[in-house]
Amino acid sequence: MKTAFKLDAHPRRPRPLLSEPPAGYFDKLPTQIMARLPQADARETALGWGWLSFLSPALRTGLASVAVLGGFAASFYMSGSAPLVPATAATASLDAVPRTELVGYLLTSGARVENSDLAVLTAAHPAITKGFLHASEEELNDALDAQPSDESTYL
Amino acid sequence: MEDHEILLKFQDPASRNLAFNQLVRKYQSKVYWHVRKMVVDHDDADDLTQDVFVKVWKHLSTFRQDAQLFTWIYRIATNECLNFLSSKRRKFLLPLTDVGAELAAKIEADPAIAGDEIELKLQKAILRLPDKQRLVFNLRYYDEMPYEQMAEVTGTSVGALKASYHHAVKKVEEYVTRTTDD
Repeated sequence: MKTAFKLDAHPRRPRPLLSEPPAGYFDKLPTQIMARLPQADARETALGWGWLSFLSPALRTGLASVAVLGGFAASFYMSGSAPLVPATAATASLDAVPRTELVGYLLTSGARVENSDLAVLTAAHPAITKGFLHASEEELNDALDAQPSDESTYL
Repeated sequence: MEDHEILLKFQDPASRNLAFNQLVRKYQSKVYWHVRKMVVDHDDADDLTQDVFVKVWKHLSTFRQDAQLFTWIYRIATNECLNFLSSKRRKFLLPLTDVGAELAAKIEADPAIAGDEIELKLQKAILRLPDKQRLVFNLRYYDEMPYEQMAEVTGTSVGALKASYHHAVKKVEEYVTRTTDD
């Protein structure tokens, strides 16, 4: 018959027979633990948002969702309310463009400029064509003679 | 340094690190061995001990002092151990007995226990206990902690702890008796 094992009869040890931790382990452990602690600035940040830790996980998730949706709504609102540029600003900035460039643009861009438009312009500023139109008086007269009479009304 | 001195110095940002260093030095050995008894392996015990003190650091300012400081630290350590063991079980989809067998294998491989047949059987018997019952057994048998203090650590009633320990001792004695040759 087996002898029943009784725990009270067994010599009591303060802990199980396990191998000791490496030599000097408890000397190094405090340093290792201190190195793992959150840094001061991180702690300050945590304190700033510390109130979040008092909320339940479900409430924190809800709060995060509201913040994200709010961000989207704000971005949509901001993108739709861009101020309109006053028309006068465009006119003012057009004045700064050299006249020759403007005429060059009108001649090459396919913009619809009638001969009458040019006639009005040259009537107001007789020397305007000197910068880009290098034709002799004879050539000009020949060109004018070739124009239909109704279109040379303003000349 | 007394606990109340440590807590007082911890409140002051200028002496907080020094106070916490004192706290670690005072309780590191107890925490380590409390954890080591539960997880057996030194490396696991080392990781968990560090985790415990990091948590103590994070929550010490909220410690209400209606319990002893060490009881509070023990409670954190206990929860860390139980979470570690249950996550290990979940991670590897292991039943309770397999984790016990794994821990028993580690005990068996430990040179400190080599040659002591009864002690080895005793440890194997303890490792066969469910985690919470093993915790109760360790606190009572090895640490000789009063039941009232155990109740604070585990959050269980004194009556339930007494019953749990009684059953644990019976299981341990039966296992050692059954596995011992005449």
